[in-house]
Amino acid sequence: MDPNSGFAQHAQLWTCTVHATYPSVRLLTEFLHKVIDGLCGHAFPRYPDYSTIWNLTEWMEVLEQTASYFRRTVGKDLSDEEAVSPLTELNSDTQRAVLTCLKGRRPDIRHALIEKTNAICSTQLLNFDWQLKLALSSDKLSMLQMPLLNLDLDLSNSGDVKLVSVEMNKEELQTLISSLEAANKVVLQLK
Amino acid sequence: MRFRFCGDLDCPDWVLAEISTLAKISSVKLKLICVQVLKDVLGDGIDYDRILKLTSDAKFESGDVKATVAVLTFILSSAAKYNVDSESLSSELQQLGLPKEHATGLCRSYEEKQGLLQESLRKCSLRLNCLDSVSWRVDYTLSSSELRQVHEPVVHLKLNVRDVDRKLTEPVAMTLSTEKFRVLLAELKQAQAIMKTLE
Repeated sequence: MDPNSGFAQHAQLWTCTVHATYPSVRLLTEFLHKVIDGLCGHAFPRYPDYSTIWNLTEWMEVLEQTASYFRRTVGKDLSDEEAVSPLTELNSDTQRAVLTCLKGRRPDIRHALIEKTNAICSTQLLNFDWQLKLALSSDKLSMLQMPLLNLDLDLSNSGDVKLVSVEMNKEELQTLISSLEAANKVVLQLK
Repeated sequence: MRFRFCGDLDCPDWVLAEISTLAKISSVKLKLICVQVLKDVLGDGIDYDRILKLTSDAKFESGDVKATVAVLTFILSSAAKYNVDSESLSSELQQLGLPKEHATGLCRSYEEKQGLLQESLRKCSLRLNCLDSVSWRVDYTLSSSELRQVHEPVVHLKLNVRDVDRKLTEPVAMTLSTEKFRVLLAELKQAQAIMKTLE
């Protein structure tokens, strides 16, 4: 079965259900944008906002199918013509709404998919924080005056988040920056 | 009385007591023992046989030899810790009863190595961990199950982090998107700039 037919079916159901009383294209557009927001790591649309339109089972399916439609269309780099083919069962207003939405958000979705691609690895850097300290004195030397940089790395290893903290003095920081700059040169050449 | 080489505190009783032990050795030999003790403090290792030879004239028992090494280690590293100049150290040691010749010899050895001593103390000051080395690799992703045409570089980074206490080096490997990588580099440079203003 074409995984998009569910979406088409439910979108049609949805448009049928609301057409009489609501400005359906506007609401549909809003729903589609929220699904894309969800794909891009923000909040997905919430069921309570749509509970008058779909029951819970329909909701789960329509959400899943919509998300997978956008993911597939952008992921497989489909042209507008190819993108419209799973939507043939929908009326032309709805089709246009979906395509407009797709056109506008294609870079966002692509970006999210690149992030997902980059996450296919053993350990990924999620976030980092740093803190610069001046060590004033120690049990060994009363006037230490040594600047130290603390770098905290949040690493995600297939869902588990591990925190690693590295303390660096001036020379060690220079080593790290030199290495990163060498890598950056290569990255810039590739861009 | 308070002494600068003791951090403006009283001289510990055991140090006071062992000053008289130092006075039993000739000033020339004391200076030679100082050289060995300094080597030890600087991490170059100590030649105990040589110390035993140097103290054999004074008919030292093994306890006295240990006390000599301990008290010299204390004086030299404590003076370096509190950044005491050799003249002040010499006069303070004389106040504690060390003969002038002994004090002068000891302080001359101290003066020669004061900078190195402080550098070594700085190095062995408490550190939680330190960065040993960094390796990196840049990959260019062509395609993936998520996206047919990716064409984006990713950076792999491996930091070898040494746990100073356990003397263990643990590799920390990670993958960074180019955006995150650029932000990391920019922020580290920012931190480095602030660090430079501290000097």
